[in-house]
Amino acid sequence: MPDRVALVTGGTKGIGKAIARSLVSKGIRVFMNYASDDKSAEEALNELNTGGNYARTIKADVSDQQQVNEMIDGIVRETGRIDILVNNAGIIKDGLLMLMPDSNWHRVIEVNLNGVYYTSRAVLRTMIGSRWGRIINIISPSALLGRAGQTNYSAAKGGVLSFTKSLARESARFGITVNAVSPGVIATGLTRYMDERVKTEFLSMIPAGRFGTPEEVAHAVLFLASDEAAYITGEYISVDGGLT
Amino acid sequence: MEKETLIEELKALIIKSLKLEDVLPSDIDPAAPLFGSGLGLDSIDALELVVALEKTYGIRIPDEDVGKEAFASLSALAGYVIKNKK
Repeated sequence: MPDRVALVTGGTKGIGKAIARSLVSKGIRVFMNYASDDKSAEEALNELNTGGNYARTIKADVSDQQQVNEMIDGIVRETGRIDILVNNAGIIKDGLLMLMPDSNWHRVIEVNLNGVYYTSRAVLRTMIGSRWGRIINIISPSALLGRAGQTNYSAAKGGVLSFTKSLARESARFGITVNAVSPGVIATGLTRYMDERVKTEFLSMIPAGRFGTPEEVAHAVLFLASDEAAYITGEYISVDGGLT
Repeated sequence: MEKETLIEELKALIIKSLKLEDVLPSDIDPAAPLFGSGLGLDSIDALELVVALEKTYGIRIPDEDVGKEAFASLSALAGYVIKNKK
C-alpha cells in the first residue's frame, strides 16, 4: 500500500503504537496523534521514524473539533490526502452509574464518541475525492456485552459500533469502508499495573487463557486497511481470545 | 463569470462527477431542484458533488443547511458559486 497516508488517533502508546508500527512497516506514511504525553510521543517518533519509514506525531485533543479540523487540514496540506483513519484514542473513567460524577459521563462520551464523529467527518472529503478510504474504529467487549462500572464507556463504544454501521452505508459507494475492531484484554502499559486478583478474574473469562498482544490487534486493523478487505464494511472483528 | 456560462459549466461538472452517462446538458432544467426529483439524484450523490464543487471553485459547503440553499436548483447553485468562489 505505498503512497497511502494514515492517521492513528492515540497512536503513540499501547495498541495505537502497535497499529502505527504495522502500517509503517507496509510503507504507509503514518501520523500518530496524541493528546498530551509529549514524552511518549517523542519515544514513538524515535522508534518508528527510522530508515526509509515516514512517521510523524501530531498533537490534538480529539474531543475538540477545532483541534481535530486543524490536525486534519495540516496533514492534507502536507501530504495531499488521508486514506486510512484509525480511531483508537480513548479514555476510561469507570464507576457505578448511581454514583458517577456527571463529568465522568460527559468526558468519556466526548473523547470516545464525539471524537470519532469529529475525525471521521473531517476526513470524508479527502476520501470521497480519491474514491478510496478506510475508517477503522477501535471498540471494546464493553460495547458488545456490557460491563458493570462502564456504563459511560460501553455507551460510547456501542455508539461507535452503530455509527460504524451507518457510516459504512453512507460511504460504500465511494470505495470507503468503515469497520471496527474489538480488542479484548490486551497486555499494555495499563494491564502491567493491574492487581493479581483482577488479572485472575479476567483470565478466567478468556477461553484462550491469556491476554492478547497489541500486535494481534494491529494485524486485524492492517487487514481491514488493505485493498483485499475492500468488500468488508460495517463489520467488526473481535480480537479477544474468545471472550465475547 | 456570466451566470449563463457558469450554468453550462456546472451541467458538465454534474454529468462528469456523478457519471450521468445518459443525461444531456439540455436535460437539466436550471430552475428544477437538483436532488430528490428530476435527475433522480439522491443525497449520497450530493456528497460527491459537494467534493467536486469545492475542489473546482474553492467554495465551501459546510453542512446541509447551506447545501439545501445551494442545491435548490442549478440556477441557485450558480448564484452560490459566484457569491462564494475564491
